[in-house]
Amino acid sequence: MTAATTPPVLLEARNLTQRYRQPNGQELEALRDISLTVREKEVVAFVGPSGCGKSTLLRILVGLMRPTSGEVRYRGEALSGVLHSAGMVFQSFALLPWLTVAENIAMGLEARGASPGETTQAVERALDLVGLGGFANAYPRELSGGMKQRVGFARALAVEPEVLFMDEPFGSLDPLTAEHLRSQVIEMWGDGANRVSSLVVVTHSIEEAVFLAGRIFVMGANPGVVRAEIANTLPYPRQERSADFGAMVERLHAVLTDTLLPEVKPAAAAPRLIPFPRVHVAEVTGLLEHLIRRPEGRTDVFDLAERVGVDYDRMTAVVHAAEQLGYVTTPGDAVVLTAEGRQLMAVEIEDRKVALRSRLQQHPLFARVLEMLRQGEGELEDTDLLEDLTIFFPFIPAQALFETLVEWGRAVELLDHDPTRERLWLTVGG
Amino acid sequence: MIAAPPPSHHPARRPGLADLAVLALVAGGLALIISFAREFRAPMVAAVPIDLRPSALPRYTMYSFIRGVLALAISYLFAVGFGWTAARWRTAERLLLPVLDILQSVPVLGFLPGLVLGLVALFPARNVGLELAAILMIFTAQAWNLALSFYNSLKSIPQELREACRMAAWPEWRQFRQLMLPAAAQGLVWNGMLSMAGGWFFLMINEAFRLGDHDFRLPGVGAYMSVAVEHGDSRATALALVAMAVMIVASDRLLWRPLVVWAQKYRLDDSAGGPAEESWILGVLQRSVLWRLRPAARWRPPRSARKAALPLRRGIRRARRMLRPRRAVLLVGCLTRGALVVALAAVALGAVVGLYRVGRLLVHLPRADWGNLAGAAGLTFLRVMSAVVLSTLWALPVGIWVGTSPRISRALAPVIQLFASFPAPMLFPIVVLVLAWLGVPLGFGAIALMVLAAQWYILFNVISAVEAAPGQLAEATLAFRLPPWQRWRKLYIPVAFPSLVTGWITAAGGAWNAAIVAEYVQQGSAVRTTTGLGSLISLATERANFPLLAGGVLVMSGMVVGWNRAVWRPLARLAQTRFGLTQ
Repeated sequence: MTAATTPPVLLEARNLTQRYRQPNGQELEALRDISLTVREKEVVAFVGPSGCGKSTLLRILVGLMRPTSGEVRYRGEALSGVLHSAGMVFQSFALLPWLTVAENIAMGLEARGASPGETTQAVERALDLVGLGGFANAYPRELSGGMKQRVGFARALAVEPEVLFMDEPFGSLDPLTAEHLRSQVIEMWGDGANRVSSLVVVTHSIEEAVFLAGRIFVMGANPGVVRAEIANTLPYPRQERSADFGAMVERLHAVLTDTLLPEVKPAAAAPRLIPFPRVHVAEVTGLLEHLIRRPEGRTDVFDLAERVGVDYDRMTAVVHAAEQLGYVTTPGDAVVLTAEGRQLMAVEIEDRKVALRSRLQQHPLFARVLEMLRQGEGELEDTDLLEDLTIFFPFIPAQALFETLVEWGRAVELLDHDPTRERLWLTVGG
Repeated sequence: MIAAPPPSHHPARRPGLADLAVLALVAGGLALIISFAREFRAPMVAAVPIDLRPSALPRYTMYSFIRGVLALAISYLFAVGFGWTAARWRTAERLLLPVLDILQSVPVLGFLPGLVLGLVALFPARNVGLELAAILMIFTAQAWNLALSFYNSLKSIPQELREACRMAAWPEWRQFRQLMLPAAAQGLVWNGMLSMAGGWFFLMINEAFRLGDHDFRLPGVGAYMSVAVEHGDSRATALALVAMAVMIVASDRLLWRPLVVWAQKYRLDDSAGGPAEESWILGVLQRSVLWRLRPAARWRPPRSARKAALPLRRGIRRARRMLRPRRAVLLVGCLTRGALVVALAAVALGAVVGLYRVGRLLVHLPRADWGNLAGAAGLTFLRVMSAVVLSTLWALPVGIWVGTSPRISRALAPVIQLFASFPAPMLFPIVVLVLAWLGVPLGFGAIALMVLAAQWYILFNVISAVEAAPGQLAEATLAFRLPPWQRWRKLYIPVAFPSLVTGWITAAGGAWNAAIVAEYVQQGSAVRTTTGLGSLISLATERANFPLLAGGVLVMSGMVVGWNRAVWRPLARLAQTRFGLTQ
């Protein structure tokens, strides 16, 4: 691809917005006003935290879902129904267990008007392409995960699509298989032996996005929006251990941190209610435990995620929680233990509960819950708190937030909960 | 070659015993259908004289069996239509699910007069009307759980599988055939098995009943049993019971076992699952050479014919191309939608007219009768609950005991299955004799009869729950040396509780149904009866007192639905949150 001639636009999304009404009547905004283009001969990736609507965006682009407002255009024509020249690869493979491998691959061919002879040939070609030549008559349950996803790719490629859509295609595979299949996909896309022009991939792995994509859209959640668009000009095939690759990963990390962990603004006049991240008590103390062993109680978020072996989404949530409680600060990509954090780690384990309790009592959201409990003479019905949470945080699943609050409240003995009576009450500490 | 049929697992053989068996089965089936068709077309005889000689019994049993199978076929059609509509359109869902819930609770006698009078009026000269009425009455005991099962299967198809089919641009019909039906196959087979058993419950009433001063009787094992009991012929009674048992075992071996094994192919989860079921019948069927004689699948018309059809084909292709544009698709969509709206409106209208009719009937019901109904309903309610409690008292410990021992459970499974699918009302005459001999009044005896109908649901559910309990939990109780009583209290009873609630729901339903035959028993030429809702309904049917019948059925359905909503469902939810095994 040369910079002088930009390839023509294949797909264009204009002002896509998607809203859902949840069973409890709560309205959820999954996507807000998203506009972007996919050009010929390029690989586009969407990355972002879970719940940012990247899979929804993919389904709208394919035509499996209709947006609440906005439109998708394919080569200038508005899309209605499923995009004819698209193939799709699913995270869970989505193979029909009662059809053989060959029958699964042939799924889309007959509807496109292929004769039996053409179907046979196309299936054979697709099978050879993914290296499963001998497995035509096997059933999916006889195959390993990697082989199943190969069938998924073969099925998507058999219809000779112009755009290949992939929803976390390597997400349910083991790392080795995923790496292998990833290289093969890029090889297949580059060698021009098929009609596939562009790839659109949804992933939660930064390395995967850098490995595959020429353009990366970083998305943010609640509501889902495109926060940044990054061009990745590394030449294919990309070497994961090269310095350039590492630098690109770092850059994407920095963008993600910036969008996901923005610098804390100077305290506003009144304490604003912020949702508490869905993390466990032990995760936060574990983070502090880890930090105190680092020089100056300081580390890098991505480094940390890798070292601890959790995904990046989860790590940011944990850091967020610790930051809300004042145990860490996050200048740039770094996570730094504060004086309060050190203090908490210094006391005996039995006394930590008390220290953590006084911190929680100052947290605006917990303070509000405690206030509600006191007004109810120490008791509160689940539904009352759930309703309250729904009003304050309309875009967050209230039940999950509720469960987190209960867990933390119990851990420091501020409150207790009975799921059968569906009631909360204050305990000694509160 | 990829599209070639999968290589056969059996080497090519010459026709053998397996083929002979298959041929014999096919021939037997054909002969049966022809003989039954003759009975269908025979001139109308309201009450066929029943031949009590043992030699007549096989024919009667076969007739009953065919009625059950035909009713099941209709039930499947209904279930598929209902489930598909309810799963596809949200509006339909909101209307149809409550309707199903209510229909489920209406006892068969509530349908009887309408069906019989309507269909006999429609076919006054031939037996068809009466036969159809009997078949549809069996249908009313089979259809509802099948419909619910199909609906639930459709609702639980993974989203990505649906999307894969849409990506493949499969038309609706193909999605139905290759996605929905396979995904629902296992549920349909298992529930078909339950429905078949449920369909026999009222066999005696379905085949022999009195409506006002008319006696209706159809040739069948149920009618045979009724007549045998009426004549006090104990040998014929015993023979009828044996015939029924043989029919149940035979249909389990010849029909259900092969179907269950076959349906395993259509599991949705990828896991290998537990030990595969086996069926020798399916083995015989698959080994047969006859299947390979199917020429239709690979048949192509001779070349001359194809050539002759060429112009036609071009025309078809052109027509297809013309039909392809969006407009046609939209048109078809609009038509389907329109048809659906009309159908739903018809259902709603039917419901309204039905309600109006029932309302007009109820207006004629004297106030005194309402009082009787209320009192009777209270009595029957107490009996139903006693039956559930008594059943639990024995079935819970026995279920836990059987469930914890794989050896016992394997040994007892076929016996329990036979007893469970045996229609309890056919045992009533014998039990009533014993009760009379013991001097127990029918007011209490009816409870024993209801226990007969209700206990199996509880036993089955407890056994399966205990068997499914994670082995590590049992090991933990052993490791911490819990005394036996504590192991039961801490582990097995809580583990069984959610299933126990499910069992209670079904058992109570069975007990309500049984009330109709338990509180009003024909003993020789005499009728033994005790006050209760069931006996009121039976009496109203026999005297053709339609206002009282409508009132009785209404009260019974209302109590079943109300109790389900107010007690069973909250209890089931509680059981799931408190004792569910998901952590």
